[in-house]
Amino acid sequence: MAALRGGHSCLIAEMRILASFEWSFIWDNRDQLWEGFKNTIKTAAIGVAGSFLIGLVLGAVRAHRIPVLNQIAWAYVEVIRNTPILVQIFLLYYGTPELGLHFETFTVAWLSITIWGGAFNTENFRAGFEAVPTRLREAGYALGFTRLKTFLNVTLPIGGRIALPSSINTYISVLKNTSLMLVIGYPELTSVASNIQAITFRTFEMFSVLAAVYLVIVWTLSALIRLLEARLALPEAL
Amino acid sequence: MALALLPDWFRPVAEYMLREGLPETLRLAAIAVTASTVVGVLLGTLMTVRFRPVQALIRLYIEVWRGLPILVMVLFIYWLPDYHFGPFHLRTEAYKSAAIALSLWGSAQVAEATRGALQSIPKEQHEAASALGFGWVGRNAFVIMPQALRRLVPPMVGLLVNIIQNTTIAFVIGVNEFLQAGNRQFENLTTQTGDGHPFMIFGFVLLVFFVISFPLTRLAAFLERRSI
Repeated sequence: MAALRGGHSCLIAEMRILASFEWSFIWDNRDQLWEGFKNTIKTAAIGVAGSFLIGLVLGAVRAHRIPVLNQIAWAYVEVIRNTPILVQIFLLYYGTPELGLHFETFTVAWLSITIWGGAFNTENFRAGFEAVPTRLREAGYALGFTRLKTFLNVTLPIGGRIALPSSINTYISVLKNTSLMLVIGYPELTSVASNIQAITFRTFEMFSVLAAVYLVIVWTLSALIRLLEARLALPEAL
Repeated sequence: MALALLPDWFRPVAEYMLREGLPETLRLAAIAVTASTVVGVLLGTLMTVRFRPVQALIRLYIEVWRGLPILVMVLFIYWLPDYHFGPFHLRTEAYKSAAIALSLWGSAQVAEATRGALQSIPKEQHEAASALGFGWVGRNAFVIMPQALRRLVPPMVGLLVNIIQNTTIAFVIGVNEFLQAGNRQFENLTTQTGDGHPFMIFGFVLLVFFVISFPLTRLAAFLERRSI
């Protein structure tokens, strides 16, 4: 196989690679790939849940302009959105031991995508909550609801509905970003497939696995967005 | 003043990163943005032409490149075996692989944005242009496109920011972009002195990316507010 990179090969060798696509090769490595898939899903699930919570809380803080917390949330969002997530992962993985914190690779994996997704989701939810007309909130106050009750009963159901499609887009990105954990050696799907490819040079088989898994999940979620946009569309202009 | 407060080891490290790594990052971003814009605007425009097979093909192109993690695309293109075909000898080195993967991803984004911008131009504009005697070409070139392209500017600035940040993915296949340059200095310092100062080095990488991206993000937001 190494000779193929060398230069002696010609079209025939090339065709042999394409023709020699072997499903059995994927089947033979199913245990490792399955482990990788589970790690990807596990990391993404924590990342999605975490970024949902961060987005919800900080989005509310930003929309209601709660002093001090609002400015802190703003700074957090701007720093995360304006720097590459790969650098954030490096800082979290290599930088924190200098501060006396020692994280496992799995901790860095879910923590970094949670922090990243949380920042993007804060913006999604802030925009959603701010899209709720003031008069609806005033109606809540007029009915004697407290600020918290008004938020929970008026702003959250309507604003959350507006924010839902864009927040699912963020979850899709969170899932795709789990692939970056390859750099810290966390055995998620991309990292596992990359290791198998490095040993066997089975490029097309490994790429097919990655493409199939990611595209199925991403396309399903995209379809869900379109469905929700149709279903949850507010009945009339607010 | 501020420089005097920094430790001695920092200056050569930062100089290496800014001299070797940063130009590579910016060059990669410039290539990817240019290619994305050219291919993306073309595909996005083609998508507004009502011919189902072409629309379906471009839709597939967009959904595949947007659906895959960029890292997976970078790796796949980098993994591709050499290809010999008569006088052609195709080989994807690290730098080329990263540029191609970023361009594929970027062109999908631009195509979708272009399609959206073109379709957001009201039908009356087409009709008014026809009434003035413009043909298909003139209608699109002089009436529709100028308006659509203006709407395309804010998302394009956003794309630029995204691509600059995503160039760091080229780190994985060994391209000496800014993060890689920082990482090499970190590893050198670790072997030479035992202390690699990872927090400061990667903090510096973060800071430089922020200094580049933040004004651009503000610009995109400003343009978006202005262009209604």
